[in-house]
Amino acid sequence: MAENDERALQRVSLQSNDGQVITVDRVVAERSLLIKNLIEDLGDEAVMNEAIPLPNVNEPVLRKVVEWCEHHRKDPPQTTEDENDSRKKSTEIDEWDQKFMQVDQEMLFEIILAANYMDIKPLLDVGCKTVANMIKGKSPEEIRKTFNITNDFTPEEEEQIRRENEWAEDR
Amino acid sequence: LEDIVNMCNSQQLSFILQLVSPRLKKDPMMSLPDELCLRILSFIDDPKDLARASQVSRRWRDLVSDDMTWKNLCLKHDYQRRLSEVQTSMQYSNFLRPDTTSSFYQPYSAPATSLTFDDALSLRRPRSYKSHFKQRYLVDAAWRTGGRNITKNITQEGGVVTSLHLTKKYIIVALDNTKIHVFDTEGNELRTLRGHMMGVWAMVPWDDVLVSGGCDRDVRVWDLTTGVCMHTLRGHTSTVRCLKMSDANTAISGSRDTTLRVWDIRNGVCRNVLVGHQASVRCLEIHGDIVVSGSYDTTAKVWSISEGRCLHTLSGHYSQIYAIAFDGYRVATGSLDTSVRIWNAATGECQAVLQGHTSLVGQLQMRGGTLVTGGSDGSVRVWSLEKMCPIHRLAAHDNSVTSLQFDDTRIVSGGSDGRVKVWDLKTGQLVRELISQGEAVWRVAFEAEKCVAMALRNSRTVMEVWSFSPPEDVF
Repeated sequence: MAENDERALQRVSLQSNDGQVITVDRVVAERSLLIKNLIEDLGDEAVMNEAIPLPNVNEPVLRKVVEWCEHHRKDPPQTTEDENDSRKKSTEIDEWDQKFMQVDQEMLFEIILAANYMDIKPLLDVGCKTVANMIKGKSPEEIRKTFNITNDFTPEEEEQIRRENEWAEDR
Repeated sequence: LEDIVNMCNSQQLSFILQLVSPRLKKDPMMSLPDELCLRILSFIDDPKDLARASQVSRRWRDLVSDDMTWKNLCLKHDYQRRLSEVQTSMQYSNFLRPDTTSSFYQPYSAPATSLTFDDALSLRRPRSYKSHFKQRYLVDAAWRTGGRNITKNITQEGGVVTSLHLTKKYIIVALDNTKIHVFDTEGNELRTLRGHMMGVWAMVPWDDVLVSGGCDRDVRVWDLTTGVCMHTLRGHTSTVRCLKMSDANTAISGSRDTTLRVWDIRNGVCRNVLVGHQASVRCLEIHGDIVVSGSYDTTAKVWSISEGRCLHTLSGHYSQIYAIAFDGYRVATGSLDTSVRIWNAATGECQAVLQGHTSLVGQLQMRGGTLVTGGSDGSVRVWSLEKMCPIHRLAAHDNSVTSLQFDDTRIVSGGSDGRVKVWDLKTGQLVRELISQGEAVWRVAFEAEKCVAMALRNSRTVMEVWSFSPPEDVF
């Protein structure tokens, strides 16, 4: 019990690739399996005294990720079973997460990359679901508009791929 | 920047917006590695969305064509590959790698299975999950709203259809007018089996062999490829009411004479007579070396086929047993006393009494942990055998449920109200009615992409064959 209390009070420093240091509670930082494993491997001492460098994440993105981890600090820890389950799980996103993900696309994709790098599966899934929801219910042209994509099919290719996919349309 | 924006009028602002907004947009599939792109796609459940996404650009097309995406979709839609498909491909992989999988290592010998080399070749090309999904999706859609059907007149005068079987090769129909009609699976008449002197009341197919029995007390063994009656097996002293096969050589019949007979149909001899029931044997089911029988004496019996003796008598019903199902462990019986009982086949004890029907329970099928029953009260009930409780109660037919069958996805029921209804097994929702102009439906049978119904229409016995296969050219 005493040990748990102690751990709960511990703080961990995270350093973004642009040199900024953000200090958070250890439980918050450990939402990231990358960091959790790092602490386990290097031992408490080493980590408590020095900032953990995250060379793939810049400061604004790291702040967003930390914000998410703070909000979800009490969520049950992820297990490997969840991973297999998640394919069958619903695509719903809770309200707070929806608001959290109302950012520009660049930031959204950066958060997904950071969540993947830092191994925060629930955040990664929220990010991927958000993108999936931006795709759903749209025509190919609407999807292109949504993400500013250039149609690089030749007219012949476009016609062929339209025909190949007709089966899913009529129902 | 803020100062500049503040100086703009609304026309200028909207110009800026047009200029800026595309620059805030980014192609996720270009910004993220494949693995994450596929993760995004895994959260899309509707194939229509995926199909549309594949038309966005080349990059999107390539990503959507990844088979993992379609495998996930198959999982989400419960489109498991059929067991037979898996088994055949397993057989085949054994054949490919005899050194690693078989203890009978014979490098150059032909496989001991019935697979021809051509079969093996066609199996070499494993079907992609995408085409598997497409196939199942189109079949599902056809079950809901499409499909093609043909109707055939079987008799001019309207005989009673007593039995219907749909196999990989045949549709076989037995009537109370002594005849057995054999069709191909498209519904084209192949031949009529003549020989029984009175109504045919039970039959069972096994590959190209058919065993039948009826009021004339004879059990007949037919070659379906020629229509020749190979054996007439005599012994029963009253109507043969039920028939099943335990292997290619063994048929077991149950009769109003209270006995069951075990027949060697290759040599045409009776191997055993199972004596013990006090009244007509109405139904039977076989699993391995065990046959279970339900009787009008209100009991069911568990018999060892090889030993020819009764292992257990299942007593508890208050009235005649009309239907029985057996999965090797559990026996389910449906009775005129309106209840369904579940029994442990190994111990003979009654595990549950399922109440709910208000009349005779004449139809039941067991599959996995699910039991579906149909009654003369017109209702179809779905039960969980894990919890021994009802899951769905379907107000299926105005009158009796005359026939029912279910698989992993759907239930098809036929009623004396002349209707054939398709139900969603999981939700219990009515999916569709297949025929409604009938006066009575005698029998229904279906498989993944086909459904056959025998009905009385305008005083004629008709057969309706439905096909839900997608047209060949879509692949």
